[in-house]
Amino acid sequence: MATLTATAQKPAPPGILTHRAVRKLLVLAVAAAVLGPVAATQWPGAAWPGALTVDVSEPLGRASDWIIDNRDSHPLFLYFFGHVSNVVVLAVRAVYLALLAVGWAGVTAVGALVAWRVAGVRLALGTAAAFLACGLLGMWVPTMQTLALMVVAVLASVVVGALLGLAAGLSDRMDRALRPVLDTMQVLPAFAYLLPVVLVFGIGVPAAVLATVVYAAPPMARLTSLGLRGADKEVLEAVESLGTTARQRLLTARIPLARKELLLGVNQTIMMALSMAVIASVIGAGGLGDRVYQALASVDVGAALAAGIPIVLLAVVLDRVTGAAGERLGGPGAAGKSPLTWLYVLLAAAAVAVAGRLGDFLDWPDGWELNIAEPVNRAVDWMTAHLYSDVPVVGGTADWAAHFTSWVLNPLRDGLQWLPWWSVLLVVATLAWLIGTWRTALTAVLAMAAIGVLGVWDPSLDTLSQVLAAVAVTLVVGFATGIAAARSDRFERLLRPVLDVFQTMPQFVYLIPVVALFGVGRAPAAAAAVVYALPAVVRITAQGLRQVDPAALESARSLGATSAQQLRQVQLPLARRSLLLAVNQGVVLVLAVVIIGGLVGGGALGYQVVFGLAQGDLATGLVAGAAIVCLGLMLDRVTQPTERRTQKKGA
Amino acid sequence: MSATAHDTGAADDAVNGTVAERPPVFSVSGLWKVFGPRAERVPADPELAALSPAELRSRTGCTAAVADVSFDVRKGEVFVVMGLSGSGKSTLVRCLTRLIEPTAGSIAIDGEDVRAMDRTRLRSLRRHRAAMVFQHFGLLPHRTVLDNVAYGLEVQGLGRAERRERAAGIVAKVGLEGLEQRRPGQLSGGQRQRVGLARALAVDPEVLLFDEPFSALDPLIRRDMQEEVVRLHREEGRTMVFITHDLQEALKLGDRIALMRDGRVVQLGTPEEIVGSPADDYVREFVRDVPREQVLTVGTAMRPASSPDEAATGPAIRPGATVSEAIEAVARAGSPARVMDDGRCVGVVDADALLEVVAGVPGGGRAAGPAPGPQGAATGERPEPAGSRPEPAGPRPAADEEPV
Repeated sequence: MATLTATAQKPAPPGILTHRAVRKLLVLAVAAAVLGPVAATQWPGAAWPGALTVDVSEPLGRASDWIIDNRDSHPLFLYFFGHVSNVVVLAVRAVYLALLAVGWAGVTAVGALVAWRVAGVRLALGTAAAFLACGLLGMWVPTMQTLALMVVAVLASVVVGALLGLAAGLSDRMDRALRPVLDTMQVLPAFAYLLPVVLVFGIGVPAAVLATVVYAAPPMARLTSLGLRGADKEVLEAVESLGTTARQRLLTARIPLARKELLLGVNQTIMMALSMAVIASVIGAGGLGDRVYQALASVDVGAALAAGIPIVLLAVVLDRVTGAAGERLGGPGAAGKSPLTWLYVLLAAAAVAVAGRLGDFLDWPDGWELNIAEPVNRAVDWMTAHLYSDVPVVGGTADWAAHFTSWVLNPLRDGLQWLPWWSVLLVVATLAWLIGTWRTALTAVLAMAAIGVLGVWDPSLDTLSQVLAAVAVTLVVGFATGIAAARSDRFERLLRPVLDVFQTMPQFVYLIPVVALFGVGRAPAAAAAVVYALPAVVRITAQGLRQVDPAALESARSLGATSAQQLRQVQLPLARRSLLLAVNQGVVLVLAVVIIGGLVGGGALGYQVVFGLAQGDLATGLVAGAAIVCLGLMLDRVTQPTERRTQKKGA
Repeated sequence: MSATAHDTGAADDAVNGTVAERPPVFSVSGLWKVFGPRAERVPADPELAALSPAELRSRTGCTAAVADVSFDVRKGEVFVVMGLSGSGKSTLVRCLTRLIEPTAGSIAIDGEDVRAMDRTRLRSLRRHRAAMVFQHFGLLPHRTVLDNVAYGLEVQGLGRAERRERAAGIVAKVGLEGLEQRRPGQLSGGQRQRVGLARALAVDPEVLLFDEPFSALDPLIRRDMQEEVVRLHREEGRTMVFITHDLQEALKLGDRIALMRDGRVVQLGTPEEIVGSPADDYVREFVRDVPREQVLTVGTAMRPASSPDEAATGPAIRPGATVSEAIEAVARAGSPARVMDDGRCVGVVDADALLEVVAGVPGGGRAAGPAPGPQGAATGERPEPAGSRPEPAGPRPAADEEPV
């Protein structure tokens, strides 16, 4: 150490050693120099040493067997999980039957009227059109199944999330306890949630609903807490100065002041729930997701699209309507005169439903169905024949996928797997420590090591290689698009609706077009991940660049900086935090879809989860799920700048 | 400081009988608010208590926002606390109703110990006796103007119809008729602060506390609002504690002003005392640009009549008239003016003396002229000849018309 510092000091100015990054690197270099040879001699070879793994599949398998054996007899199941499961099943069934009883005309009318009341005429028309389109595509019943599951899951998520958020918003201790948990849950891929609930509830609707609730409640909790904490301090002080009790403060000021965040929370919960309800088809959710899943399993793109379109429509409608409701409430003129009009709405809806019953408009008429599966499949066949390969000059889509696999994914995977395991840990530690604190570095390294201990080192590196490749593509394309959108108003106007739609679509849906274009395999999974993560990256980049202090930009312009200089010397440095956030988001989103890519031949961890579920081999699936959690944790910590924490404190 | 500031009452007693005889509404003594680790040791330890802010910070990590402050706010007066940002004035006013819990010292409202109050009593104090107006209004954005104004009454548990009726009356009083159904977001800054003011007035409090209420407003609106406060005070004679960083505002509204710096009261006195005899260089620097002739009264330039003849001729002015008014009178008449109190000539002002006051030349004020001694000037307690000072009862522009 002493010699190292001495030699480093001579050529460099004395300040460089005091620079934090340099000091961190030095410490790590020393650690590497000491530990590397030890590890290399002790456990030779690049793969994670077998001596350091713990075989958890056997106890997990035993646990799973025990649960299966005792599901009908153990008191824990009889008196708790059993009831939970029954309540969920009953609730979903009740909603489903109610939806069917109201009939397609009734549901469409109710949806449109509600949308009209909360969001205006245009969205009402859009809602009606969306419902009718679902019917037209022959997907009325699956749509209602998904909707019923959604209604129950969203209600439960909102209640659970709001209660947790209330606790975290009012109690600092609760907040300190909950925040890291919620933060972490936010970055985990949806797939990781499936197995634990299956372990307890078995495959079926209860598991699907509970997985959805676990996935969708955190945003509600976070936003509730945020809203309660973010209320204007002076308003609260003014309210206190008038002698309010704590209860009065909560009911008349804190909750109403947080209503924007609360509605945003409901909106996000609905979107997350839809996303998860579709994915949960893997564990028996039924409905639209199941149709897509079945169709994808047999590479029937047409059928997948017919079920995918209603998902997208549902997502867009739900997002726009709840979003518009939030804006209306926050904006001026949000009058409370509505009880009477709501009554009219209810009456009108009831009238339509009754008319539907009498006029026999309950089931969607068969003659009105539009079979798009066949033409789509024909188109796909044509594409397969003409665009897949050997297109002159540009090559074919399948060729691209093959090239991407053999030139990028394979070398990356082999490279990662060739690296000695301890050097991978070291790289993780370096990245996490440079960008964060020693705590984040420690978390990241422990998470990575846990993957090794679980014995899924190689598949995890395979997944990691797909993530890295997809993130690289996402960032290059995303930053370029984001910069362009920030610099040109017209481009941004064109881009905005596209981003809006893309950001509302559930992850699952992205698999459909890539399968049509690229077939199955690792490249399509990566492509789906890129498409899924792009909108967020583009948006964060563009926003970050646009939010750069106009005064700084103006002063640069007044000094005669060219636009390239402005971008390089002012905008990008000042938007650094946004760019880092974009990287973080990109990584998290890409991971989520790469894992789901296991369904379309992405292999690795995602496949192990699917395999575990399909074969009833929960131990394999659970280990893979745990590895996914660790991978997500590691990737998040490695890309999570510390500013996030200090910023929160300062605010 | 505590002793000196505390004695101010005696000074006022000597000057006139109207306000000073009234019992204090708020009586604050030795008040401390220290932020930081183990804050309570700072006021307790005389050595720490005497440290400058920087030293205190480096030695203990604490900041004393309010340090050993004492004063009385008497019934019916406008008591202004003024200082630059960070001087502790906003913390001070929040300590009065324990929105911020004081570290040490005592606060009494009508003789009742505020620091000893339990939750219920404190709530009742906030509900009925002291209402506050905030710098950024602190309105509830989801409620209409009317419901915002009625909020304090709602908190007290009043029925909807009754509180709305009372609120409507107050809304009219502050000039917001026709805007009852608007939301705060649809109002201008001045209108919003009128809502804030109405909300405070609606509970009919004994004391109104203002925390820099107008500093977020445009200058013209600010003047309107200041006049609104003057008007309200003239009509109702409510006790007010007014926090501001604006010296002009302090001089315009304040019957007495406490000037704060680094948590301590540097000088406490009438506007005239602050401008006429600054306690130290800091205050002097502060009031340097104040047009003295508009604040100081003729008392500062008055001399006894040199002859019965002089006492019988010349324009007559009130004892409370400002120097600038006297200048006008002297300039019009071309001769010295007589200061008349109840038909009796109490003195004479001539052009030279007035000019000296305007110029700020030492010795300019003759018999009553300020000859600052540090101790006396610091508190404004130095007795001055009776009748030489304005009556500190009403808001200053209306000082002589109405003792309130």
